[in-house]
Amino acid sequence: MAALTAEQQRTVAPVGGTPLISMRNIQKHFGSLHALRGASVDVHAGEVVALVGDNGAGKSTLVKVMAGVHAADSGDYLFEGKPVRVNTPTDATRLGIQTVYQDLALCHNLDAVQNLFLGRELTGSPWGGRRIRRAESEVRAREVLTRMRLGGMSLTRPVGAMSGGQRQNIAIARSILWTPKVVILDEPTAALSHSAAESVATLIRTLADQGLGIVVVSHDIHHFVVNSTDRIEVMRLGANVASFKSSEVTGEQVVNAMVGGNEGVNLAG
Amino acid sequence: MAHVSTTTLPPKRRSFNELLSTDLRALPIVIGLVALWIFFASQSDVFLTPRNLSNLLVQSTVVGIMALGLMFVLLVKEIDLSVAAINGVTSVLMAKLIVEFGFSPWISVPIAILLGAGIGSLSARWVTFVGVPSFVVTLGLGLALNGLQLILLPETARYSLNGTGLERIALTNISGSWAWIVLFIGLAAFAALIISEVAGRRKAGLETALVQAVVLPMAAATVFGIIVVMILTAHQGIPLVLLIFAVLLGIGGYILRETQFGLFLYAVGNNDEAARRSGVNVARIKMAAFAIAGGVAALAGIIAASRTLGVGVFSGGGVGGGTLLLESIAAAVIGGVSLFGGRGSIHAALLGALVIGTVSNGLNLMGVENEIRLIVTGLLLVLAVSIDKLIEKTTGQQSF
Repeated sequence: MAALTAEQQRTVAPVGGTPLISMRNIQKHFGSLHALRGASVDVHAGEVVALVGDNGAGKSTLVKVMAGVHAADSGDYLFEGKPVRVNTPTDATRLGIQTVYQDLALCHNLDAVQNLFLGRELTGSPWGGRRIRRAESEVRAREVLTRMRLGGMSLTRPVGAMSGGQRQNIAIARSILWTPKVVILDEPTAALSHSAAESVATLIRTLADQGLGIVVVSHDIHHFVVNSTDRIEVMRLGANVASFKSSEVTGEQVVNAMVGGNEGVNLAG
Repeated sequence: MAHVSTTTLPPKRRSFNELLSTDLRALPIVIGLVALWIFFASQSDVFLTPRNLSNLLVQSTVVGIMALGLMFVLLVKEIDLSVAAINGVTSVLMAKLIVEFGFSPWISVPIAILLGAGIGSLSARWVTFVGVPSFVVTLGLGLALNGLQLILLPETARYSLNGTGLERIALTNISGSWAWIVLFIGLAAFAALIISEVAGRRKAGLETALVQAVVLPMAAATVFGIIVVMILTAHQGIPLVLLIFAVLLGIGGYILRETQFGLFLYAVGNNDEAARRSGVNVARIKMAAFAIAGGVAALAGIIAASRTLGVGVFSGGGVGGGTLLLESIAAAVIGGVSLFGGRGSIHAALLGALVIGTVSNGLNLMGVENEIRLIVTGLLLVLAVSIDKLIEKTTGQQSF
């Protein structure tokens, strides 16, 4: 497969409107390790952006800065065009940014409703010991799952008794329960069967079609990233090295950019 | 975000395997308990008499209450080996306050319970902030408290509580119409709980099967309550210690099944990192669980002191917790509480204590020696957990 020209790599058809998230020239150090060296990314409403790169490329650090797990040393973080400070996960949540981690962070002994609302239960007064308003929670959970076209999912089965794909769906449903604007997904298709991964990809597209901005970190370049995202940001050594429109690129070209196969072209551009 | 209409789907009928791994998890232990009762009834004419059954229930109370408190700690995937020592040291301190310092039981009893809760929360602080495993912290603390208990005792190594008013806890029985009024209050509270739940579901537009949600549970509770009260009133009435245990079971069941705190206990026990990321204050939840176990252990100690009319070296099971500690842990585990956290219902404390109490009582009636009783109890513990595991393998359902 021929390497892309620098122009092809850099020029991606602009998505209209102000980005939901715009991170510019983000720098992050961990002691002597320079993890992010001026990384940038834009996320628009209705867009699925993939962050790809080899291990240590900085993609996970970048999404952690985006999610408030790490604070950036320097750089600009704009949310809906306005500069913001996102130093904690709570800051991100307040802005409407939710993260689905690779381990899903689910409690296998709890059912779907209990997992969806964990930590944010609908409860009664302190005098009743903060009794959980189960019925209201079920209705709200069913609404969200229906919106995700998962209306048939059991609400009462322990999550541990569900398949990997169903658990991934629950984790995603939890992230959109409180109507966020951006959802970050860390390796959403890792350890899933082909059919389960396809169903998760369909779900992600459904959410983007409903106006959410989606950021995905994934190593599944050939199947998921190329086929199910809108834009691909390639990172290497803490910086962006290429940006592709997913529909105009092959998995091989993306991998080449990840490992530096187009180094000469990149530098020339 | 686009508006999408919502449809409420009827609940799917669950398979027997699913039921066995969730709602009917206690079925094997209930069957086992019934089998034990049939066996001992066939061996002794006295076993099923109201007097003996009343005694059996009262004898199971202290272990049952201890197991109830302990299950809060087990649910968060920790263990508290100091509960028996807390039981002993707080009851001795309470007796010292009453006998030597002239405190009223109305003051010394709450002090003992608060002290138990305080000691429990201290263990939790050590576990969560210093990072030492709870097994080690509570083992060491238990031994230290055993020492303190010996220091607090007088030269006679015993405080008699006869005539202090504390003995009334063990001697009080609620008989006659009062026993039925107590049952009515209990059933009314239970009815209010399930009716409010059904009302909430209907208000939210969810389908609810009235028979399954209200009629069957109420009928079962009523029949069970009537049988128990009939047996107890045929002897001397409802012993106050049994009523205390029943109230604790009710409060504990409400906390675990209905409240946010109860849910957090299960969440922390299964995946504390997930709970933490969801905003649950894991350290605080663990601290509350240990405090409950400590406070409840102190209350069990008070009841034990009232029954034995005094405290001494033997209080709290003696040095190392003795059989009290082992039987409390065994009762919780036999009842279905997982040692690996996140699984167990409130009835575990009752069922586990009843199994242990039944074995002890039945073998006593048969004239079997104490050492055989210990062997049988130990084997039952292993058997109960083995059956649990076998069900898990056979049904293909994980334990939750």
